[in-house]
Amino acid sequence: MSLAYRHRPVPPSPVARWDARWKLAAVALACGAVAALHQPLPSVLALALGLALVALARLPREWVLARLALFGIAALPFLLVLPFTLGGDGWYVGPVFVSERGLSVGAAVACRGLAVGCFALVLLGTTPVHHTIAAAHELRVPGVLVLLALLAYRYTFLLAEELRRVWIALRTRGFRMRATRHGYRTLAHASGALLVRGTDRAEAVSAAMRTRGFDGTFHTLSTFRTTAADILGFLALAVCAAALVTWDRL
Amino acid sequence: MTANATEARTDGAAVRLTALSHRYSCGRVALDALSFALAPGECAALVGPNGAGKTTLFLRLCGVLAGKPGQATVGALDPAVPEHRRKLPEVVGVVFQNPDDQLFSPTVEEDVAFGPLNAGASPTEAKARAAEALASVGLPNASARVPFQLSGGEKRRAALAGVLAMRPQVLLLDEPSMFLDPRGRRELIAVIRALPGTKLIATHDLDLVLDLAPRVLVLDAGKLAADGPARELLADAALMEHHGLEVPYRLR
Repeated sequence: MSLAYRHRPVPPSPVARWDARWKLAAVALACGAVAALHQPLPSVLALALGLALVALARLPREWVLARLALFGIAALPFLLVLPFTLGGDGWYVGPVFVSERGLSVGAAVACRGLAVGCFALVLLGTTPVHHTIAAAHELRVPGVLVLLALLAYRYTFLLAEELRRVWIALRTRGFRMRATRHGYRTLAHASGALLVRGTDRAEAVSAAMRTRGFDGTFHTLSTFRTTAADILGFLALAVCAAALVTWDRL
Repeated sequence: MTANATEARTDGAAVRLTALSHRYSCGRVALDALSFALAPGECAALVGPNGAGKTTLFLRLCGVLAGKPGQATVGALDPAVPEHRRKLPEVVGVVFQNPDDQLFSPTVEEDVAFGPLNAGASPTEAKARAAEALASVGLPNASARVPFQLSGGEKRRAALAGVLAMRPQVLLLDEPSMFLDPRGRRELIAVIRALPGTKLIATHDLDLVLDLAPRVLVLDAGKLAADGPARELLADAALMEHHGLEVPYRLR
C-alpha cells in the first residue's frame, strides 16, 4: 500500500455522486449503529450492508481488500482470544476448551469491525478527503477540528517521507534493526529527531499560515449541492441502521 | 508614533526600518538597530552568514514576531501594531525557505486560494485570483494537483503563487533558489524578475543576487554591515570574506 499523498481517481457511481455532507452524516450514523450492535446475526447483516455499499460504489477490489485486511487484522485478536477465554457451552479440542459463545462474540466483533471498515472505505474512496473534511465543517464540526484533521492528513505523508529518508540514512550507515539495546536506542533517537522536526515544521507552517491572513477560521473552495437522491440515500442508510439496532435489541 | 495610529508614516518608502531591534526570549539579539529603506518597486538582496538575522527580519516585517511599534513600516502599516497586523497579509507576502511549510492544502488551487479566502474573497473570486497567480508563475494547469507531488521548482512557484494571490505590494523571499536544480532556478529567476512590486530577497546564492537585485544589504550578527550596489559590494573580496561570504564566480 502506497503512502503517497495523491487523489485517487473516484470511480463513477451513485455513491460518488452522493452529496458529501449527506454521505458523511449517513456513514457516521451507520458506523455508530454498527458499533452499538451486540448480537452475531445483526453484525453479519451489517457487514453484508457494508459490502453492498462497497459494491455499489464500484471501488477497485484490490484497493478495498488491501485496506479491509487492516481492519481484519485489528479484529483478529478478538477472534483468537475470546473463543478460549469465555465460558458457556463449547467443545474440547484436545485439552483446549473452545467456547461457543466466545466464538460467536469474536465473530460478531470481527464482522462489526469489517463493516465499519467498509463504510469508512466507501467514504474515503468516493470523495476526496479534503472535500469530506469540508463537508464535516458544513455539518457544524468546529473549524479548529476540521483544520487539525486537514493538516494532520497533509503532514502525515510528509512525516512518512521524512521517516523514509531517516530510515535510508540509517541503512546506508550499516544499521539493521535488531532486538538489541543499540537497535532500540537508534530507533528512539530517530523517532525523537522526527518529533523535533515535526515541531519545527508545525511552527513554520503556523508562520506561513499567519502571513497569509489566517485567523483560525476555516475556508474552503469546496461547494455542495443537495438533491432529493442525496436525502433519500441518507434516509435509506439511516433506516437500515435503525432496523439493525432495533433487531439487535429485540 | 503611537500604537493606536491608524496609519504609519512611511515617507514614500515601501519598507522603512528605523533602528529595528529584536531580542529572542532566550536573550539572543537577532537584530540590532537596523535602519534602511526600500523604495516602491525596488528589488534588493539581503545577504549574510547563517544566523545573521535574515529570517528574523522577515518574520518581524510580516508581523509573525512581535516587537516595539515605530521601528518598521511596510507600505503604510507598522507590523508591531495589532490593528495593522490584520491588514499586513494584503500588503506584504513572504515566500518561506521550505515550500513544504507553505503548501499545506490538499490541492494547489486550495492552497493558492487560502490567502484570498482569509481576506474575505468569495470562493469564485478566490478561484479567479488563484488561477491568475498560478498563470503568473507558469503553472496554469496545476490547480488540481497535489502540492506534495510537485517537483522542487514547481513547489517553489506554487508557494510563490500562494503569496501573489494576495496581491502584496512588498514581497519577501527567503532563500528562493534553495533545493532547486539549474532549470528550476532559471525558471524561478524569470518569474521573480517579471513580478511587480518591491522585493527583498534573503539568499546565500550570490549569483542569483547578480541576476535579480541591483542593491545588496549585508547583514551580520543582526547588524547592517554594508548597503550598496550589488556588483560593487559582491566584488569586494575582503568584505565578503569578513562576513562569511564569497565573491560570486562571475565576478572573480
